[in-house]
Amino acid sequence: MNLKRQLGLDILREEYAYSVDPVVGYTSSQKIPDRWVSTTCGYCSVGCGLFIGVKDQRAVSVRGNPSHPVNAGKLCPKGLSEHYTLQASNRARFPLLRKGRKLVRVDWSEALSTMVERFHAVQRRYGSDALGVISTGQLVTEEFYTLGKLVQLGLATKNYDGNTTLCMASAVSGYKRSFGSDGPPGAYEDLAKADVIFLLGANIADNHPILCQWLDANPARTLIVADPRVTKTAMMADLFLSLKPRSDIALLNAIIEVLIQRDLVDRAYIDAHTTGFAQLAESVHKYSPEFASGITGLSVSQIYRAALAYGHAQAPLIAWTMGINHSTKGAETVNAINNLALITGKVGKPGASPFSITGQCNAMGTREAGFTSSLPGYRKFESAADREELASLWGIKPQRIPESRGLAYPDIVEACIAKKIRALWVIATNPVVSFPNFAVLQQSLEGLDFFVVQDGFHPTPTSELADLVLPAAIWGEKEGTYTNSERRVSKVNAAIPPPGEARPDFDIFLELAKKLGCYGELFPGWTQPQDAFEEWKRVSAGRLCDYSGLDYQLLECHGGIQWPFPKDAFEVKTTRLYSDGKFQTDDGKGRLLPVEWEPFPEQPNTDFPFVLNTGRTVEHWHTRTKTEKVPILEHLSPNAWLEMNPRDALALKLKAHDRVDIISSRGRVSSVELRVTEIVAPGQVFIPFHYAEANANRVTQSAFDPISREPNYKQCAVRVEKSQPAPQFFGVRGSPKTFRRLSVNCKAKVHQENK
Amino acid sequence: MFFLPASRLTGQKMSLPLLDRARERDTHFTMTPRSGAAHRHASRCGTSLSVSVPPMPSRDLLPGEQYRFHFDMTRCIGCKCCVVACNEQNGNPAAINWRRVGEIEGGWYPNTQRFHLSMACNHCLEPTCLKGCPVDAYSKDPLTGVVLHSAESCIGCQYCTWNCSYGVPQYNPERGVVGKCDLCHHRLSDGREPACVSACPETAIQIEIVNLAEWRREYASSANAPGLPSADDSISSTRITLPENLPPDTRKADFFRVKPEHPHWPLVIMTVLTQLSVGAFATLWLLQLLGKTARLSIAALVSFLVAGLALNASTLHLGRPIHAYRALKMWKRSWLSREVLLFCCFSGVASLYAALLWFRLPGSVTLGALTSLFGAAGVTASACIYVVPARPAWNSKHTLAEFFLTGMVLGPLLAASAGVGEHRLLVTVAATAAGSQLLNQAVKFFWLTASEAFELQASARLLATQLARPFLGGSALLVLAAMILPFLSSAWYATWALLAVALAAEILGRYVFFVSVVPKNMAASYVAAGEAAT
Repeated sequence: MNLKRQLGLDILREEYAYSVDPVVGYTSSQKIPDRWVSTTCGYCSVGCGLFIGVKDQRAVSVRGNPSHPVNAGKLCPKGLSEHYTLQASNRARFPLLRKGRKLVRVDWSEALSTMVERFHAVQRRYGSDALGVISTGQLVTEEFYTLGKLVQLGLATKNYDGNTTLCMASAVSGYKRSFGSDGPPGAYEDLAKADVIFLLGANIADNHPILCQWLDANPARTLIVADPRVTKTAMMADLFLSLKPRSDIALLNAIIEVLIQRDLVDRAYIDAHTTGFAQLAESVHKYSPEFASGITGLSVSQIYRAALAYGHAQAPLIAWTMGINHSTKGAETVNAINNLALITGKVGKPGASPFSITGQCNAMGTREAGFTSSLPGYRKFESAADREELASLWGIKPQRIPESRGLAYPDIVEACIAKKIRALWVIATNPVVSFPNFAVLQQSLEGLDFFVVQDGFHPTPTSELADLVLPAAIWGEKEGTYTNSERRVSKVNAAIPPPGEARPDFDIFLELAKKLGCYGELFPGWTQPQDAFEEWKRVSAGRLCDYSGLDYQLLECHGGIQWPFPKDAFEVKTTRLYSDGKFQTDDGKGRLLPVEWEPFPEQPNTDFPFVLNTGRTVEHWHTRTKTEKVPILEHLSPNAWLEMNPRDALALKLKAHDRVDIISSRGRVSSVELRVTEIVAPGQVFIPFHYAEANANRVTQSAFDPISREPNYKQCAVRVEKSQPAPQFFGVRGSPKTFRRLSVNCKAKVHQENK
Repeated sequence: MFFLPASRLTGQKMSLPLLDRARERDTHFTMTPRSGAAHRHASRCGTSLSVSVPPMPSRDLLPGEQYRFHFDMTRCIGCKCCVVACNEQNGNPAAINWRRVGEIEGGWYPNTQRFHLSMACNHCLEPTCLKGCPVDAYSKDPLTGVVLHSAESCIGCQYCTWNCSYGVPQYNPERGVVGKCDLCHHRLSDGREPACVSACPETAIQIEIVNLAEWRREYASSANAPGLPSADDSISSTRITLPENLPPDTRKADFFRVKPEHPHWPLVIMTVLTQLSVGAFATLWLLQLLGKTARLSIAALVSFLVAGLALNASTLHLGRPIHAYRALKMWKRSWLSREVLLFCCFSGVASLYAALLWFRLPGSVTLGALTSLFGAAGVTASACIYVVPARPAWNSKHTLAEFFLTGMVLGPLLAASAGVGEHRLLVTVAATAAGSQLLNQAVKFFWLTASEAFELQASARLLATQLARPFLGGSALLVLAAMILPFLSSAWYATWALLAVALAAEILGRYVFFVSVVPKNMAASYVAAGEAAT
């Protein structure tokens, strides 16, 4: 310690001084920037507009954009502290190549040459599909578009998927099945205009807090929340439906049955704009409120109240998130939601839509422009016309475009184990923490010949296992566009240069294309994201997600514009899809699809008596690579916890704040702080999944939706035991972080020795 | 002065009501949802995020009024935007949060009720932080009613952190001073919202004007909430809108999370040694009255050195030891100032007394009386520092008894060890005092156990669990000192051993005194806030 400080001289007076910023007003001097850079938040898909304050090439503050149509100046705690992610100590700075056991710093040229060499070696020996690529929802749309072309046409593998499959795939599949295309029909404005808002499996107060102000702007709304857990959002509800885990389909079918019985459906709309009503009516007939009550655990009167509130509403909005998507019946549950909206004719109307609230900041961008589960522009792999149209736009032979999608994320992981995939490229995602059933993932990564991780952060639990780490620029260091949940395209701008030798993903992709020799063909003359954007505008023209009327300047000026925005669009306004009742199916009609309730796959039993639910908390983002080093967020939520009902805790002789282990047939999460609380029902427990040191995915299961391939994260059978005291190192209790470091080092060694 | 001079507050900028001034700025944004149906179009795209609850007052303050926070618990979603915004506004490290969000919970699944409390400084009508401050670092702004703290004046004694029932002032070890919410009064006077108000997406925090006289009558019904200490201690100005029908079992989410407080080692040493010194001087004076003169001067010199050591140790507790002298300033109001003043007088008179004894000069009996008097007054002032409502386990007669008994145990033993004679008498007095100290602690423990107040029960819980070892260890040493050692031998080394054991018992006891207190505080999150990430 400093002697002056010891004596008590105020050596930090300057640091704690205040000054007046012309825009923000009186505030801490350290936070006053030289300039403000306008951009869009890089965390979730709400898509808030904000400014980054830059002083001497450092991001020192963030403030909400008061004229942004999404957030009107407000930000959540993550957004308010987002500038710290740019200064984080765990940023990836240099390309690292594994030589022997160690990751060694190399230059970019060696890194990319090695990558191309090793990928080609694998592809030559095992076939071109022996390369797998897993991306994210965090890149800009321009990068997704570029990456899609690079992977599918340049690297010629179709085994390319993104984190979207762990997140939004069920909504995508559900929309495609019901409406013929992906694309959420509604807008945030609907939250303010609806008279009934039905939130299913969506804890917006924790996960999308800025959407809550839209709810608050709606004085006349009735809010119905269905969730097995008494979430912060449940506390906002006028009617809270505390249904049993994964009983949503029974609830939705019962509501449909009540509406049909009471003739609260829109017969004219059904006749004109849908097919399959007779089959639907027959399939839901058995879901009387009494029958559904047995499945959902709700009272008959609760089901009637929800059904009648929805049925009598002029503008009912149904919105959902991961409670619906993270399920082996995810896509079908989305269909049940769409059924309800279709039979009442409440699709794409002001205030009324079946509205999927998305996860990551640009999950929508990868759905539109990516080349994973669809062709760019929501085109179908299966459609020859779509393939030909794309090929002619790109000036390539149609045969080069695959006729079916490649393996989905979980199937790529499985193919790695089966040695069908030998090399893997992971971009801006952290499967070691985010993928279910860690034991399987570990096996899959250990068997790889070559494993590349491209990320803005290193070490992450995943990048530590890589053979090659490519350091990427993150939000705030690169340019492009994000699309939010309501199809609003917003501009993202670079405020500061990336640290060390890190480069924007876009540059990395182009550089790789040059090494691969496909740059001239696929990306002729491209140097900046705008080049990709211009091509993407042409590719999306005439499609549902039509960008052709947009340009960067227009986006900057309006702080985000919703697609479709065709060339001839003359006004920036709220848009909705399917308002005219015309859908993207062959016959233009919405599909009513009968859906049956099924129990979730792994039921509790005597060995594993609890149903484990996983979720999030407002302070952290995903696998915490971004928020772990944001001091205020880490301070506010430093460790994981397990919620358990007091009745269960009493039976297990567990006390509040005890350390417990969570055990499933697949693995164990050790030393988690127990929260004894009435937030969860007896028989259920809940853990946030953000924390690598208490990785919930060590116990979750490998069960995937057969349609969307989305994992069933929300229910698995576990038991809970009091933890044994932690081992002591020289009398000092090892911190969870030490353990993580130790275990990861061990894993890295195993990984190396297996080769 | 650290804060704005009144002239600036009353200047031109204050001539317009706050909200009008706020509206004058195009960069300024206010938004209040859940208005009537009238939607104000906020952007080109026809978005309808609209405003009805004004987050700021629409008029100026009248005499007899002040600004205050209104917190609407029914609107808060616990997003903690206010906490982050406050830290950014004030450039505070992550571990210091001038605004905090706590959780309260009640009811039974599925009718569970969970709510959040977002609290900063309550800008109390009778601020306890201000009353205790020895250096006058606090002031209640006569115009706005904001309780201001001056980092320039503060010496980092942290006494305010013990006095506030809400845990509002927080010590910043990096800078060596305390800091707290100032209602962003510079922003207010510029017509801008405080950072927390401006950041809240739910308009759960607002600034209001309150009439002081009315509030004194009404605060009990509107300033209290489950998970919050009683507003009686200081008359909190914050108005809280509570949800209807809160379940009767609603309590703070961190109810079962009780951790030992900071031990404040310099204060453990300082209090025990000053009490020892005072006890020793009083013993010497009494012996002098009884006509004993053998080795009194040596004993007095040792006692004086102990006092000097104690007083110097106390400055180590300060964040800014170099400014320790400022602590004398507020002797009219602060017990801490009085303690410093009385112990300064004590050590001054004691040095004279020791000198007179040493040189065998006349008048020593009178000075001995004065020394004892100042010493006793100093120990009383010491005890009064701790007898504060915000720290319930200290807020009792046991504290005064404990401090005096420490002097009565250790003083005679020091004298005996110095060889002043009357060995049997001194050891008997000390043993009796040690027995009384043991009894005092036992009675205190049972009082804590039997109490219904959360903080007292929690203190008992700490003593019975996490602190059981030091608590029982200290008691065992007292038993040793009171009941066993005195009967073993009267040799000089036995007396020294007895002094050592008694001193250890008292130091351990004082350590337990500091760490076992559970301060009043607002509800926190269930999971304890962590150390900040690096």
